[in-house]
Amino acid sequence: MPLDTSTTYPLTKLRLDGRRWNELRLLQAQISTNPASSGSSFLAMGNTTILCSVHGPAEGRRGDATGGAAGSSGAVVEVDVNVAGFAGVDRKRRAGGSDKQSSRIATTLRAAFQSHLHTYLYPHSTISIHVSVLSADGSLLAAAINACTLALVDAGIPMPGLLCGCTAGMSGSASTPRDPRNDELDPLLDLSLPEEQELPFLTVGTTTSVPVGENAMDDGEEDMKVSMLNMDSKVHCTYVETMLAVGIDGCKQIREILEGVIKGSSQSR
Amino acid sequence: MASTLPALAIPGQRLGPVASYSAGPGTHVQQSNVYASIAGPVVVDPAQPGSKAKATLSVSRSIRAPGTGNVVKPVTTSAGAKPAATSAPPKPKLKYNTLPTVDSVVLARVTRVQKRQATVSILVVLDDPASTQGVNPSQTASDNDNIEAILSSAANPENHSSSDELRFQALIRKEDVRAVEKDRVVMDEMFRVGDIVRGTVISLGDQSFYYLTTARNDLGVVMARSEAGNMMFPVSWKEMRDSATGQAELRKVARPF
Repeated sequence: MPLDTSTTYPLTKLRLDGRRWNELRLLQAQISTNPASSGSSFLAMGNTTILCSVHGPAEGRRGDATGGAAGSSGAVVEVDVNVAGFAGVDRKRRAGGSDKQSSRIATTLRAAFQSHLHTYLYPHSTISIHVSVLSADGSLLAAAINACTLALVDAGIPMPGLLCGCTAGMSGSASTPRDPRNDELDPLLDLSLPEEQELPFLTVGTTTSVPVGENAMDDGEEDMKVSMLNMDSKVHCTYVETMLAVGIDGCKQIREILEGVIKGSSQSR
Repeated sequence: MASTLPALAIPGQRLGPVASYSAGPGTHVQQSNVYASIAGPVVVDPAQPGSKAKATLSVSRSIRAPGTGNVVKPVTTSAGAKPAATSAPPKPKLKYNTLPTVDSVVLARVTRVQKRQATVSILVVLDDPASTQGVNPSQTASDNDNIEAILSSAANPENHSSSDELRFQALIRKEDVRAVEKDRVVMDEMFRVGDIVRGTVISLGDQSFYYLTTARNDLGVVMARSEAGNMMFPVSWKEMRDSATGQAELRKVARPF
């Protein structure tokens, strides 16, 4: 029997790394790891390890297309993602340039944070984010979002809320319509690399949303607003809602962890 | 609604309704609530007794009060409570990210002197232009925390370029150097590379430079080294003297306080 999630999960209800469907991997993070930058963070989600540093808001580079008229109304967010050659299972030697995967992550991060941050406070400036992936074991985009959020908080860049990312998948190919009476597929939270390679998954990024109207009066917990959603694999549309719900729940858990990290490091600073 | 404020705010945390607070630095207003937008201690600035103004909520970046090393004690008054005791301890300076704006007073280092203009890089933006007249730069707070280190790292050609390139660049044009005899200004007799200049921003300029002016008595060179490399002290509005050799050099000197 091949050892993969889609065959072992229905039998054991445990994933390859021993987690249940709704369990996150161990999430550890630190902020202010790099004193030379305005803000920095180190984040490990299981075996995915990311270093992130933020420079700015600083003056945009001269002669740069983004530093010109585009930045006159607010800061421009620049994201640079570098996946280390030793990050994956097979050691790759790259010719310096960025590959398709890292440039996609960079584009997504840039779009997410450009609209998320209060950039209007810093006209004519650039916020540059550098993400280094030291070890890649799935949920790269989600881990990068969380690392960037921490580094931006450390840099003191105003934002309406923490932007937290998480992945969610299905424990099978999920290519046929869902049968509500015989639900043999479970949603999975926080996928690792072997799971990502065989299963359909999506990455969701949420921020705190503002309670509206009636809800604004009660002091209950704030609910989440999806501000980023990315899906590269194919899945039947009947499963998307389940995956999204699980992903949003994961984001909520991650947000609590990140808040703890921020509070912990603010007190010890 | 419970109105106890958290000691430490996290971005996105609700601090209170706009009905009872107004939003200060580090916060934003959404759906008639004040939310934190940066992480840090929450500070309540109570309204002047008698005035109609609301207490201002702000979130600071600094955790320690500079100098004392003590943790800034966050104020946790409830919305309806009377303002804190009048004999408040000297207010610690709080840190915010500051960008130069028109009329803000800045300290800048001269990086290049040309016939018609001097290029400087802005090191420190002094917060609160109204109160900066008598302020000593080491007490001002901006996000460039270690001001002493920035100012003293003056004549180091190696890391000079790298650290100064990252800062905001500004120009002092020949006609903005002083208010009188503008046409007789010779830039070489006003500034030298490496001088620390106090100036005010007159324009945000184009995409590459701010514009500064030193055309006021209290603006101009505040720190300079002579050709021998010694610190100089001001002797008149256009002359500074080397404390070791006694040699005089020409500068547009800021009035010492």
